[in-house]
Amino acid sequence: MSVKAEQFPFPFTEDRYAYSNNSSLQKPARSVTMTDRYLEEIQLKRELLQANHQRCFRSLPLSLESQWEAMRRIFNELAENEPEHFSFEKRGNEYRFQNLLLGEEERFKYRDLSSIERQPLDIAGRHVQEDLIIMGDRHDGLFLEAGQLCFPSNWSLTFVLGMDFKSIHTPVPGITHKDFIGKVERFISRIRQNEAWERKNWSMTISNKLDTPLETYANWGKLRLQVTDENVGELVHLRVEVQRLLRLPLTNDILFTIHTYLLSLNDLIRNDLWLKRLYTTIQFLSDDIAEYKGIALYKNELMQFLEKTLSEKGISL
Amino acid sequence: MEDFYEVKVQEIKQLTPTIKSFTFISENTELPSFGAGSHITLHLPMGMRQYSLINNPLDMINEYEIAVKKTGHLESGSTYLHEDIYEGDVVKVSPPDNYFPLQMEGKHHVFFAAGIGITPFWSMMSYLRSLGESFELHYAVSGQDACPFYNEMNERYANQVTYYLMDRDSKTKKLKERLRELKVGTHVYICGPQSYMDFIVTYCRELGYPKKYIHEERFKARKLEHPTRFKVTIVNEKKTIQVNSNQSLLEALHDAGITIPSACRQGICGSCEVKVCNGEVLHNDTFLTANEKTDKMLTCVSRGKGHISIAVE
Repeated sequence: MSVKAEQFPFPFTEDRYAYSNNSSLQKPARSVTMTDRYLEEIQLKRELLQANHQRCFRSLPLSLESQWEAMRRIFNELAENEPEHFSFEKRGNEYRFQNLLLGEEERFKYRDLSSIERQPLDIAGRHVQEDLIIMGDRHDGLFLEAGQLCFPSNWSLTFVLGMDFKSIHTPVPGITHKDFIGKVERFISRIRQNEAWERKNWSMTISNKLDTPLETYANWGKLRLQVTDENVGELVHLRVEVQRLLRLPLTNDILFTIHTYLLSLNDLIRNDLWLKRLYTTIQFLSDDIAEYKGIALYKNELMQFLEKTLSEKGISL
Repeated sequence: MEDFYEVKVQEIKQLTPTIKSFTFISENTELPSFGAGSHITLHLPMGMRQYSLINNPLDMINEYEIAVKKTGHLESGSTYLHEDIYEGDVVKVSPPDNYFPLQMEGKHHVFFAAGIGITPFWSMMSYLRSLGESFELHYAVSGQDACPFYNEMNERYANQVTYYLMDRDSKTKKLKERLRELKVGTHVYICGPQSYMDFIVTYCRELGYPKKYIHEERFKARKLEHPTRFKVTIVNEKKTIQVNSNQSLLEALHDAGITIPSACRQGICGSCEVKVCNGEVLHNDTFLTANEKTDKMLTCVSRGKGHISIAVE
């Protein structure tokens, strides 16, 4: 599901690729955003949750307080920022959230499990385009304690549930060099309550498929072999995850949200600066990163396509 | 979240002869919520002062409550609050921060408080009570009159509270006994005068109690209130520059054409770290460990004293 170019969060600010803590503080602190793909993506999410609930929602009992807090926070944000589409009312301990776009409402008593039919994060996630993760901030580090994950980029919620931050990131090449991942974890553990930080992460996906979990790799991974000089612009999509980290004040845990955007290369190359930056970034990408981001199999086709387009447009680097 | 809020003093209560509680509200803004163990920073004429919040975060509607002991110093923030602040006055506060959060994975929480050090635990206990979690309080206080919530404490936490009203030696003996009996999975929290906190931490270490299960409340300045200028020699660039009082080292480096990575600009991400070769550094970050601070600094918030030398990558 591609997004319009105007809403696409192009990730490259420089012409070279390097690991960095590229987080920026959000003012005001937001954890969710709506795009014009809202209805389609919510529908897809609901279908995935219906068909594969175990794969798309997991939680540990310790996460329940944070789930409640996250749900209340997200509904509040939606109602505040999109009042024409959502409302959120509180009467004592009873809450009512209305989603006017879907014609749905959620009623609950805060922290009363008997008032809801699903776990709080599983309810909240059905009203936003983001995947939602709770990272518990424990005395010995950050741990993934709950998640509603429909649109993962080649990872498995089941596999990482309960895992610590460093172990989750083991597959990322070179991530332990100079203790980079340790520093990122330390940074997250210092995020102040009610503050939200944003970073962009990117990779490439063949076709406009948002749901690429590890569990179905056999179905979508092989599409990488189908890229040719002719179809590369249409098939290959730049996949950008806008990731936000918000410190939930009550529980002191982290709400991690991931909003995934896809844009086909044919749409991307209309922007000369984007074309140039994508080209230089891919050019300087090391082999292990190219492999990790799923590009290695069709890197030649991709580079030729970008070079051809640059020369057709008369853009010099 | 704003940088600060103007709040009105809604209520002042005299809790003991030397302790008053203050309730601040906002009539036009929704105040940010907070977690148990948080503090707010009051902007007072004598500078910024931090006080633990004492309300139950789950019951917060739109108010912050603190309890302050008058220290006796004429120029102190507490004397000012006790003598010059009245109901209806307006005070500036920075939003809550939490350097002393509860570790919710704990199987049991043990609080050690002395004197006015009870304040963060007052909020933590009501929060844990709401959640049905297990905890106990050990409270060293000079007497019943000096105990700020004496009646409420006995009504609500009769089975959780142990008072330490005895002489110093018996107190030490009793504290040690309790510390020796702590069970695996118990988190320990300490707040009180430095000597009291040191005693408990030292004894926990002697016992071999895991360090990450011991939590101390420590207030530290978030930033220097009056930064001064200093000189920096960047040894590997063979340059010496001046950092003015109104700029950070990071900005001064940038102005001098030396770009180093940076991100948060609040001393929490570690991106702008440089090596310190010589000179005294005033560290204002919350990122570097004590060990790292011996030869590193974060240029976005930390400053040198006089003349320092650094190396950049």
